[in-house]
Amino acid sequence: MYRFKNLLVFLLLSSLFLTQGCWSSKEIEDLSVYAGLALDVGERPDIERDLEGQGANYFKRDLITATIQIIPIKSFERQEKSKAKQVVKYSNLRLTGDSVFEIMRQYSTRRERPVIGHHLKVIVVSTKLAKQHQMDQLMDFALRDNDIRPSCRVFFSEGRAFDTFLSDQPEEVPAFRLNAMLNNSFRSNKIMKEVNLTRIDGLLRSKQSFLLQNIVSSKGEIQFSGAGIIKGATSKWIGNLNQENVESLSWIQGTGQGGLIKSYDWRNKIITYEIKSMHSKTTAKLQGDAISFHVAIESTGRLIENWDTKENPSKLEYLEGAEKVFEKRLTTMINHVMQKTQSKYKVDVAGFGKVLAIKYPKKWKEIKDNWDEVFSRVPVTFEIKLKITDFGSSTE
Amino acid sequence: MWSIIITHLPNWKVCVQAVLSLVIALVLYYVNKYFRSLVEKKNAPAQKARRGERPAEQAHLSDEYEENLHAIKQAISSNSDVHFREFQVAELQARAMLIYVDGMQDEEMISKYVMKILMEDVKQDMTDGSVLFNPLEFSAYFQNKVLPVCETYEAKELHGLNQSILIGFTALLIEGVPHALLIGTSGMKTRAISEPSSEALLRGPRIGFTEVLSENTSMLRRQGYSEDLEINMYEVGARIKRKLVIAYMKEIVNPDLLQEVRDRVGKINMDFIAESGYVEQFIEDDYLSPFQQAQNTERPDRVISGLLEGRIAILLDGTPFALIVPTTFSMLLQSPEDYYDRWLPGTLLRMLRFFAAFLALMSPALYISFISFHPGLIPTELAVTIIETRQGVPFPSLIEVMILEISIEILREAGIRLPKPIGPAMGIVGGLIIGEAAVQAGIVSPFLVIVVAVTAISSFSIPVYSAGITLRILRFVGMLCAAVLGMFGTILFILFICGHISKLKSFGVPYVTPISPFRFNDWKDLFLRTPLPFMTKRPDMMKTQDKKRR
Repeated sequence: MYRFKNLLVFLLLSSLFLTQGCWSSKEIEDLSVYAGLALDVGERPDIERDLEGQGANYFKRDLITATIQIIPIKSFERQEKSKAKQVVKYSNLRLTGDSVFEIMRQYSTRRERPVIGHHLKVIVVSTKLAKQHQMDQLMDFALRDNDIRPSCRVFFSEGRAFDTFLSDQPEEVPAFRLNAMLNNSFRSNKIMKEVNLTRIDGLLRSKQSFLLQNIVSSKGEIQFSGAGIIKGATSKWIGNLNQENVESLSWIQGTGQGGLIKSYDWRNKIITYEIKSMHSKTTAKLQGDAISFHVAIESTGRLIENWDTKENPSKLEYLEGAEKVFEKRLTTMINHVMQKTQSKYKVDVAGFGKVLAIKYPKKWKEIKDNWDEVFSRVPVTFEIKLKITDFGSSTE
Repeated sequence: MWSIIITHLPNWKVCVQAVLSLVIALVLYYVNKYFRSLVEKKNAPAQKARRGERPAEQAHLSDEYEENLHAIKQAISSNSDVHFREFQVAELQARAMLIYVDGMQDEEMISKYVMKILMEDVKQDMTDGSVLFNPLEFSAYFQNKVLPVCETYEAKELHGLNQSILIGFTALLIEGVPHALLIGTSGMKTRAISEPSSEALLRGPRIGFTEVLSENTSMLRRQGYSEDLEINMYEVGARIKRKLVIAYMKEIVNPDLLQEVRDRVGKINMDFIAESGYVEQFIEDDYLSPFQQAQNTERPDRVISGLLEGRIAILLDGTPFALIVPTTFSMLLQSPEDYYDRWLPGTLLRMLRFFAAFLALMSPALYISFISFHPGLIPTELAVTIIETRQGVPFPSLIEVMILEISIEILREAGIRLPKPIGPAMGIVGGLIIGEAAVQAGIVSPFLVIVVAVTAISSFSIPVYSAGITLRILRFVGMLCAAVLGMFGTILFILFICGHISKLKSFGVPYVTPISPFRFNDWKDLFLRTPLPFMTKRPDMMKTQDKKRR
């Protein structure tokens, strides 16, 4: 054996080259990178209607219209830059069908270059579609596909999801804009923490209710506005929370990184509180069979805006008064969202279940199958402490 | 692999793959075997026979002046540059003959100290008043009391005499004297000592070796005074002989290593050893390896610091390049400047060089594998830019990279050959123009120009020029691997290199020594250059007699 040691080495080495399977290269410019995927209720655009009229049809039901945003579209006119014509950096391609995967493959019959999903950043689902179909069915392809990264973020769209992929700025790729807008969460707690495919996967498998950031759009402008609720039991969209509700939820969970509380003081003048820090601690209590939660919220911040010219913000009494106003305002906000989630939609989207599961795993096992139902009857108490530590640089 | 074959036996593709891999392996095996056998054949002791076949006519000079002259003339007078100058020795009234090679003598010295004395002054110099008529006695008297020249020998044997004349001695034959006097009057024109052009430093001595061996050894001596520094002379070359010197520190060097170097140098067998590159190729361990196993340098300071680490220097007459053996991989990326600067800049620059070496080796390969196999691994924004810039490039990435890499290599080669004043300018301008124009013409993408430029600049930053060449060769191999198998191939390629250099040895010292075999003490001088007070020990890997630096 030792005599043939070299032969053995070479045999193993050559098998390395022959038994693995990525001989075939694909140059990057021969591929279409898609950065966004929008899922809408099946509605064939005119062009598709026309094409199908001429026989470009296959066996399908028109359930979904999927839009992919391909970047960059041709820019071969590099040489003739002088034309100063604004080149659109992306192209949206829409197709209708039922299987998302079949639609993805169907793109190959429309464009010369195969699409690859490595760089898929955002998936936008229209609430209308999420109401009709289960979320886990819609997401199944994205979760299974090897190309698509699990870091891809998922959003809801109030109107057509396709509209969020339009931009009035031709130089800008809307999918990138959407993706980057999440980074502003340190400025406003109306922007939720990102929900990516990994989290969606976990949430869908464990049949929990959850929220997805909602986008509204108009003529190429978009805005984050509240969140859509997916009910765990049905995996369907059941309703929306507004911007204030999203804000309140971030207070309950203590996840906000920034933002503000605006209120009106005793003279009905505007005062605003800027959050510097935010902490919350949720504790679960079990007395007999009765579950209850207590949430302690603490925050420090500064008085950032004050329209009340008659008051002197550098006075301690005034600040204490203002603290009370803000606390009251926050309590109302939180009550709104608790009322909405517990009574109206009967879903736990603030993660109370998790707290219970950690502290009382036995109890949790008993009730986890209809936790949303149980949650709607559980009393939750709040204890809110806001502290104004600073009134800004302006004083009398 | 076997399990795959067995389970997929009906699948003809797998069978073909298996057979192919067997064929490839066999071919590689036999090619390898063939090459190894070549090495063995080369090392066979064939030189012994040849050395023995020259018993040299041990012809001695006779008493007869005419006879001797005739014999010498017959042997070497067909050379037009051998001059015979006959004159009369005033005192003896005897004929004398000076024989020397033109151009190798200091003629002023000959006429002033040899001819003038013999023709006029000897009589006056005989201070004791005795008169000598015996030519033999006169010769001894002349050599010992009159002739003010350092090097004089008596030559009795004809063959040796002829050789000495051709090497540059002046022979003096006197009528009645049965031997010739060899006088060292060599005064060859030599080049002035200048800064080594292949290893420029910002800080450090501006002194480099020249083509004259004695000057080079004197430069080593001049570094400082030490009884430790030993310089042993050898002769190499079967037909044209040349002086070769082995220098080492007597109390530091590992005696086994010294013996090994002596043996290997002794085995060198060739007509003519033209440059130290010949020596390097004769004494290296593995001639199939792209990595050099002896470091060449023009700098005496580098040689001395090598000697102090327990290494051995080999100097050859006629070349300013000295060899330092054994060589380890880290030496190729070290510059003397690391030690002359303070330790922080030294460390930073050294780490930078390691990074540059990686770039010089890998960046085109990585570019190819990213572009044509793994577009998902590029950050999105960058991917978009690359796609945009690569639109309309007609070639696959390998061809594209090859076009630019090869033209850069040609430019570099041309830059060396071009006359000095236009060389560098030509290189830069040519590079810029080719780069810019190729992009304009749409043959290559601008991104690639950046990659290739970074690669080229990185490979320039490697302090040892021949190490840069190694990386240049391997870069092309890496590119091919990447083009065939993508990232998988690139990693395979890196593993191949790692395997190869960890197996490679230079004079018994593993090539990547401080890393593997792991010697922590030597890591102080590997990636980092720790402050000098910390470097109290000589490298462990050299197994020196004296472990401590004092």
